[in-house]
Amino acid sequence: MCDGNNNVGQDGNILLPKEVEVVEAKKVTASETHFVLKMKNGDAMDYKPGQIVEAGVLGYGEVPLGFASSPTQTEKTGTFDLVVREVGKVTKALVSLQPGDTMTMRGPLGNGFPVEEFEGNDVLIVAGGIGLCPTRSMIKYILDKRDDFKKFTLFFGSRTPAEQLFVEDLDVWRGAEDVDYKEIVDNADENWKGKVGVITQLFKELDELNPETKVIICGPPIMYKFVIAELKGFDVPDENIFVDLERRMKCGVGKCGHCQINDKYVCMDGPVFRFSEIKDLEEAI
Amino acid sequence: MAKVRCAWFDFTSCEGCQIEMTNFGAPFLQLLDHVEIVEFREVMKETTDEPIDIAFIEGSFSREEDRARLESIRERAGVVIAFGACAATGGINALKNHMDMDDYKKCVYGDDSNMPHLDTQKAMPISAAIKVDMAINGCPMSRDEFVRIVTQVIHGTEKVYVPSYPVCVECKLRETVCRYEEGDHCLGPIALAGCGAPCPADGIPCEACRGMVVDANQESMEKVLQENGGMSEKRAKDKSRMFTANFRSDA
Amino acid sequence: MSGYYIPSEGLQSFAQSLMAKMPVVAPVAKGKRFIFDQLGDVAELRLDYDTTVLPPKKVFFPPKQDLLEFDEGKATSCLDPQAKVLLGVHPYDIKAISMTDKLFSDNYADSNYLANREVAVIIGSNVQTPYERAFYGSIAQDLELVGHDAFLTKISDGYVLDVVTEKGEKLIADLGLADASAEQTSEAEGVNAKADEDCPVKLPFAAGDVSEKVRNSFKSEIWDELSKDCFSCGSCNLVCPTCYCFDVQDEWGLGASNGKRYRRWDGCLSSEFSEVSVQGGSENFRENRAERYRHRFMRKTAYLNDKLGAPACVGCGRCAGACTADIADPVNTITRIMES
Ligand code: SF4
Ligand code: SF4
Ligand code: SF4
Ligand code: SF4
Ligand code: SF4
Ligand code: FES
Repeated sequence: MCDGNNNVGQDGNILLPKEVEVVEAKKVTASETHFVLKMKNGDAMDYKPGQIVEAGVLGYGEVPLGFASSPTQTEKTGTFDLVVREVGKVTKALVSLQPGDTMTMRGPLGNGFPVEEFEGNDVLIVAGGIGLCPTRSMIKYILDKRDDFKKFTLFFGSRTPAEQLFVEDLDVWRGAEDVDYKEIVDNADENWKGKVGVITQLFKELDELNPETKVIICGPPIMYKFVIAELKGFDVPDENIFVDLERRMKCGVGKCGHCQINDKYVCMDGPVFRFSEIKDLEEAI
Repeated sequence: MAKVRCAWFDFTSCEGCQIEMTNFGAPFLQLLDHVEIVEFREVMKETTDEPIDIAFIEGSFSREEDRARLESIRERAGVVIAFGACAATGGINALKNHMDMDDYKKCVYGDDSNMPHLDTQKAMPISAAIKVDMAINGCPMSRDEFVRIVTQVIHGTEKVYVPSYPVCVECKLRETVCRYEEGDHCLGPIALAGCGAPCPADGIPCEACRGMVVDANQESMEKVLQENGGMSEKRAKDKSRMFTANFRSDA
Repeated sequence: MSGYYIPSEGLQSFAQSLMAKMPVVAPVAKGKRFIFDQLGDVAELRLDYDTTVLPPKKVFFPPKQDLLEFDEGKATSCLDPQAKVLLGVHPYDIKAISMTDKLFSDNYADSNYLANREVAVIIGSNVQTPYERAFYGSIAQDLELVGHDAFLTKISDGYVLDVVTEKGEKLIADLGLADASAEQTSEAEGVNAKADEDCPVKLPFAAGDVSEKVRNSFKSEIWDELSKDCFSCGSCNLVCPTCYCFDVQDEWGLGASNGKRYRRWDGCLSSEFSEVSVQGGSENFRENRAERYRHRFMRKTAYLNDKLGAPACVGCGRCAGACTADIADPVNTITRIMES
C-alpha cells in the first residue's frame, strides 16, 4: 500500500494533512456521528475496504478511523463515510463538525482486506459494536459486486438495540436475499424482538460453514478469542480468518512506533491481518 | 470567541501560585484577550456569586470547615482546576501528615500553638473534597503549563493532554547533564514531568514538586539515592516527604 | 575519493573556515559530559570527546519539532531545512544515522527528517577517547560505514581528512587543504583498522544467536527480574541514536485560532507510549514495566534486524550511562539472557 506516498498528505509531506469537507453529519447513537465527506481541492480518495485514514481537527489532533463506505460508492458520488465515536479530545472536536466545516485527513493508509482473495468464495463477517464501521466498507462492497462472491453471511452483535449503528442498512439487510444477516444484542429493551446474548451464539444457528469461507472479525478486543474458537469448530483454517485491529496510532505511516505489536506495525502491516500471521504475537489479541 | 470567566480562590497555601500569575508578563496579558477575571484576591477587590467558567483553586484541603466553600465553588464552576502543588497533591503542606498534630503545631507556632484555628486535619489535595477536572502542577505552578492548559480549555477541550512520564524525559529532551553524572542526587526518575525540567537544567536536583508519576518505583528510587546519590538509608527514605508525602507507600 | 592532511594546529582554522560557510554543529563540553552544539567559538570544539549526551540525529530530527502551523483552519508545513556541517561524528553514530535514514525513507518518506538530512554535510571522526560504557567494537560489525561525506582521522601529528562524496568535496574544495602523503594515509588506515580494539566493553555473542535467544526468551520470567528497578523514564530510548519513535500533539497559540502541531521524541519504556485508544475505550498493551523493558530489547536485538541488516544497536553505550538504575546496558542484559 506504499505506492501512494505523495497522496497520503500534502505537498509530499506525509504529516501535512489534506482538507476534507463535511457533506453530512448525522448523530446516529448517543455517542456516534456518521459523516459523509468529500475531498477538497479536487484531491481523490482511492481506497480499499478495510483501509484507514487519520482524521483530525487542527488544534486537537488526529485519530485513525476505518472507512465506513465502499469504494464503489465513492466512485459514484465522490463521497466517503466515517463514523466517529466521542471518547476523547480529538473525537469530541470531530463530532462537533457541521456540514460545510473542514476536517483534516491523511490517507488512505495501511492494508485493507485482500478483496481479490475473497472473490469467488463464501464470506462471513462478524462485527461487534463499532466494529461494524470498518467492516461496512467490505459489506457494501460485496453487496455492490454481489456476483463476484458466493454465500455471504453477516453477524452483528451490539450491547443494546439503542447502540446499533446504521439502522437503515440493518433494515435493508434484515429482509435482503443477497446476505444472510443475523443479529443479537447483549441486553434487550422493551421493543427488541430479536435474539439476546453474546455474538458467538449466532454460530449455533449455522448448520454448516464451508471451511473455505473467508472470515472477517472486527469488534472489541475480548470478542476475537471467542469468535476464533467457534471458527475452529467449523475447521476454518487460520489463513482464512482476517482480523481488523484498529489500535492507537499517531503517524499512520510506520514511523512513530505507537502502533507496534511485537514486530508488526498496525498502521503499515495492518490494520487488517491474516490471523495466521499474528496469532503468535503476544500483544496482538 | 466569548470571553471565558475565570476566578481564583485560595485555601491552605502560601499564595505563591497566585503571585506567580502576576509575575507572568506578556503571555498572561495576551491571554486576557480571551479571559475575563471575575475574582482574584491578589489583584482585585471584586468577588462574585455568579457562575464561573473556570475556577482555579489554590491551596490544600486541610480543614473540614473548608469543605462547604469548596463545594460551593464546584457548584458554580464549569471547570475546576487545582492550581499548584498544594491543591493538586497536598504539596509541601503534606510534610506534616506523618507527624502528630501537637508536635508539628509546637514546632511551627511555639507558644501560640494552642490557638483553635490552628487545628487541622491532614493536608490533602482538593480532590479529597470535590471533583477536580484538571491540575496545573508545581510549586509554584508552572506558567508554561498554565498557558498550555488554559488555551486548550478555552478551545473547548476537557481532556487536556498532560504528560504522565517522569522528569528525566524532559532533561533528555533539553540535553541536561544528569545530576547523578555530576555526583549529585535527584528525584526526577519518580517525579511527574510537565515543568520542562528547569531545576536540573539549572544544576539543582529535582525535588518532585509536581508530585510523583503513577506507579513511581519508590523502592528503586531509595536504592539509587543511596548507591548513586550518596545518601544514608534514613535520608533516602525521608527524601520524598517534602512534596510527595501523599504519594508515599506509607501515606 | 581524496585524502587531505590537516596539521594539529590547523584544525581550528579548518573548523573556522567551515563556520564561515555554514553553521557547524560539533561536540563541545557541557558539565562532565559533551553535547553536539552549534560552534560559536572554534576553541570549544572537542574532537577528543568520548560520547555526547544525545546522539547527532537531533540535528535532523530535533527532540521537539514543529510539523505544521495553523491559523483559522489552514495548515502550513514547518519544513525549513538549514544547511549545516555536522562535524566530529563517531563511526557508531554514522552507522546509526544510516539506520534512521533508512527508517525515515522506507515506505513513506518523511520529509520532516529527510529535508534536514539532505542539506547536512557530515564529517566523521575517529574515536580518540572511548566512552567507558561503549561496546561498538563488537556489535553491528557487518554494517558498512556509509552516509558521511568526509572522515577525519587523528594521526600522530595532525589529521587525515578523507573526503568520500561530492558533497564533501564541494565543501572543502576552496579551503586549499594539502594532500595527505602516502605515509599519512597509511597511518590513518592503521588507526581506523584497529579502532575497535580500544573499545572498552565487549559483547561476546554473535548477532544471530542473540536475536534468536532473545526472541525465544519472550515468555521468560527473566524480564521481571531485569526490569525490577526500572523507572519507566525512557532515558534509555531518548539517548539512543537508533530510536526514532515520537509522539504528536497539537498546541494552541495565544491568538484566537492559531497554533501548531509538533512531534516529540517518545520511547517505548514510558507507560503512556503503549496506551491504546481503540474507538470506545483505552487499554495498555504493555501495561507493566517488564513488558516495556522487554519490548526495547526485542527492538534492539531482533525485531528490526531484517529491515536494517543489523541489530538496531550500534554499541554507543549511551543508554547504559543514562539509566540511573543502571539496568539498561545491552551488554549486561544480553549476557544475562544468553546465560539463562
Ligand atoms: S537530573 Fe534528575 S530528572 Fe534529570 S535525568 Fe537525571 S535523575 Fe532524571
Ligand atoms: S524539575 Fe522537579 S522540582 Fe523542578 S519544577 Fe520540575 S518537578 Fe518541580
Ligand atoms: S531501563 Fe533505565 S533508562 Fe530505561 S526506562 Fe528503565 S530506568 Fe529509565
Ligand atoms: S541501545 Fe544503547 S548502546 Fe545501543 S545504540 Fe542505543 S543507546 Fe547505544
Ligand atoms: S526501542 Fe522503543 S523507542 Fe526505540 S525505536 Fe524501538 S520502539 Fe521506538
Ligand atoms: S502509527 Fe506511527 S508507526 Fe504506526
